[in-house]
Amino acid sequence: MPDLFSMTLEDKLYRTRYEPDSDHPHITVKEEICRSCVGKPCVLLCPAHVYKRKPDERELVLVSHDNCLECGTCVQVCPTDSLEWRFPDGGMGVKYRH
Amino acid sequence: MSADQDIFDAIVVGAGPAGLSAALRMAQGGLNVVVVERGESAGSKNLGGLLYTTQLEKLLPGCQERALREGALERAVSRRRIVYLGEERHMALDFGAEAWSGAPGNHTWTVHRPAFDRWFAKQAEDAGANLVEGMVVDELVYEGEGQARRAVGVRLRGDEEFRCRVVVLADGAHGLAGQAARKELGMTSPHPQHFALGVKEAIALPAQVIEDRFGLAPGQGAALDFIGEPFKGLIGGAFIYTQRETLNVGFAGRLDSLQKVGVEPGEVLDRFKRHPEIQRLLKGGELLEYGAHLIPEGGIDCVPQLTGNGVVVVGDAAGLVNMSLYKEGTNHAMESGRLAADAVIAASASGDFTRAGLASYEKAMAESLALQDLRKVRELPAVLEGAPGLLGEYPDRICHLLTDWFTITDEPKERMQKRAVKQALGGLSKLRLARDLYRARRLM
Repeated sequence: MPDLFSMTLEDKLYRTRYEPDSDHPHITVKEEICRSCVGKPCVLLCPAHVYKRKPDERELVLVSHDNCLECGTCVQVCPTDSLEWRFPDGGMGVKYRH
Repeated sequence: MSADQDIFDAIVVGAGPAGLSAALRMAQGGLNVVVVERGESAGSKNLGGLLYTTQLEKLLPGCQERALREGALERAVSRRRIVYLGEERHMALDFGAEAWSGAPGNHTWTVHRPAFDRWFAKQAEDAGANLVEGMVVDELVYEGEGQARRAVGVRLRGDEEFRCRVVVLADGAHGLAGQAARKELGMTSPHPQHFALGVKEAIALPAQVIEDRFGLAPGQGAALDFIGEPFKGLIGGAFIYTQRETLNVGFAGRLDSLQKVGVEPGEVLDRFKRHPEIQRLLKGGELLEYGAHLIPEGGIDCVPQLTGNGVVVVGDAAGLVNMSLYKEGTNHAMESGRLAADAVIAASASGDFTRAGLASYEKAMAESLALQDLRKVRELPAVLEGAPGLLGEYPDRICHLLTDWFTITDEPKERMQKRAVKQALGGLSKLRLARDLYRARRLM
């Protein structure tokens, strides 16, 4: 088990309870608009690393929506408004206990 | 609409402190109310934290002891600590009062929000409100055009629409249905909201260890706030709250400052946790959960129009957060919920649910504790932007002064102290200091 002070984000998310709605992605990227964004602040600021630059196409992002903590940071910081974001279905997504 | 379809007096979107307060009060007033919560249960989209209960007391007088007994409250905060963390130094102001222990104490509690919100939802249900959990309100239903455009219900995902006379928008900082409704109904906002992001961990430790490390008797709790080196260049800080057998350890910082510095929020939290002073408090703990939440912290200048035709806005959805040292949000949420409910009850008597008919909410809010306090700290966001030294440079100088003052050597005290003072004041513009200290009063 990783030590409390050296845990990666993946370790932390693994401890958090989710019921992913894997068949219905709740985040959709409008790629033609997203492509024009140079800074990709979503990659830096999403606290759950939902967004990563595509390895083969760096001007676009890959979305791991199953990790989403539903905070809304990405929607706030997206400079091009290229995210279509809706909540996961009722009772799905992250379920905090503490 | 068919005549036999039920019309609710009010539909509340979101079963957080604001929405549940509104629902509870309206139900107490005899209205037919339903609360729709997208989480599996109330509170499941929220983490633990600090809860002030003066407004809860207004809704449920004398309820704190029962809430404690029924597991809704964790520890009564009897001790507060404000800490500056330097690179390898620290300085703290630690204070408290025995009278702050227990109930009613100082009306300041640590809570697990999933547990508290569930309990609070139960109180609203007991008062006669209906609770529908695990359902998403995707949008409101509207009728009429132009100035007469009004909300007449909500549409649930995968289900039919539900009609009501008033929709209470209590859908929080990231409230998509509420934001869309405000646009649809032409509800204005003086300034666009700016947000901080809070990231938080729940860390398990035995109760006895928590009490020993934080200097607490059983049942007593501590709330610690941190500024300093781990948050360099950021508008934000960290906190530790003690629950019965968990610690809430988190960092909250303005999104624009994180972006400017170019640092990940989770990395800042890790940096904080690795500070030697913090490691000593957390060591041996087991991480139970990690979470994130947006906090609207633009203050009063970003509070939107609170009523529209057929809608009222409450809580975080209305940006009612005081980000000064008090970090007060849930209490304001509860007050706004109660005042909104009173306005809806009054409107039900007159039958007028237009903005004009609901105007008593805006009027009551203008005199509310929430808006009085937000008005007082109006300049806080600007102060933090304009005088970043308040969270970094100045406390660092004081911290150095203290540690230098108490560094024991063979040097005569007089010489050593003079040097410490000189060093602490070195390169400091008296004019800038005076200006920044004058601004600092807004932090309180």
